[in-house]
This record gives sequence, structure tokens and C-alpha cells, in this order.
Amino acid sequence: MKHVLKILTILVAISAFWIGLLQASIVPRSHTWLLPIYFIVSLGCYGLLMVGVGLMRFPTCPQEALLLQKDIAEAKVFLKQNGVDVGSD
Amino acid sequence: MELADRAVGFLLSFISIFIFTYYTFWVIILPFVESDHFIHKYFLPQEYAILIPVFAGVVLLCLLSIFVGFVVLKSKKKKA
Repeated sequence: MKHVLKILTILVAISAFWIGLLQASIVPRSHTWLLPIYFIVSLGCYGLLMVGVGLMRFPTCPQEALLLQKDIAEAKVFLKQNGVDVGSD
Repeated sequence: MELADRAVGFLLSFISIFIFTYYTFWVIILPFVESDHFIHKYFLPQEYAILIPVFAGVVLLCLLSIFVGFVVLKSKKKKA
């Protein structure tokens, strides 16, 4: 199934649950009216948290950076020998 | 440079957790607490619990559309 269909079914299920809560009045009324906004705010918070955690755990691989610099220098020498203009240094 | 990255990441996650707990308290727990409790001093009146997210969402939409319009105008000017 396409991804957008899955998201739409989840949204329909959540709104059906919310309307059911409204009808059954288990929780006080004013609470139930605030629930959608609460979910949107918590979703935004969750996204921000994932970005922050990803930033904290990002690996920098210093050895790979050194190898990459060596590759770049090697490629520049090779290209300059063959007459290609490599640009700024 | 990874220290700066880590600091920014930590700040972001701290802000998000703070906003989440504050909002949870505001919307879910506070209506069940009696009105004389001292904790009500630290929270704004309940109407702001709806106004502030809606206002932030509208501001976000406006900024996004301004950015999109800006990029479209800039690309059109470059093509012409």
C-alpha cells in the first residue's frame, strides 16, 4: 500500500477515536476538545527531540576525513599533470 | 567542532522535553488540581494553552510561504 494511504488511515483512526471519546464522555468535555492540539504539539516536540538526539550522536569519522583529504590531493596532482584546470587551491 | 554540534543537539532536546512536560502539565494535569494550589502560579491561564500553539502554527505557515515566495521570485528574476 502506498505510504500516503497508511498515513491517511492512521489519521482517520485517530479522529474516529476522538469522536468516540466525545460521544462517550468518559473524560471531561473540555479535556477532549484540547486533545488534537495536544497531539500536534507533542508530534512537533517529538520531531525536535529526534533532531536533537541525531545531532548528539552524529559520528564524524576523523580517519575517513584524513583519507579523503589525501585522495583529494592525489586527484588534484593527477589532473594537473594531465592538463585539467582544478580551480582554487 | 563536534562539541558545538553536541551542545546544540543537547539544547534542542532539552527545549523539546521542557516544552512537552510543560504542555502536558498544562493541558492534562492542571484541570484536575484544585484552584487554590500554589502550582497554578507557574502556569498561564488555560486559554493561552490553545492560543500559543495556534499562533505559533500560523506564524510558521506565514514564514514558510514567505520563504517559498521569495525563492520563486528570485528564480524568476534570474531566468528573465
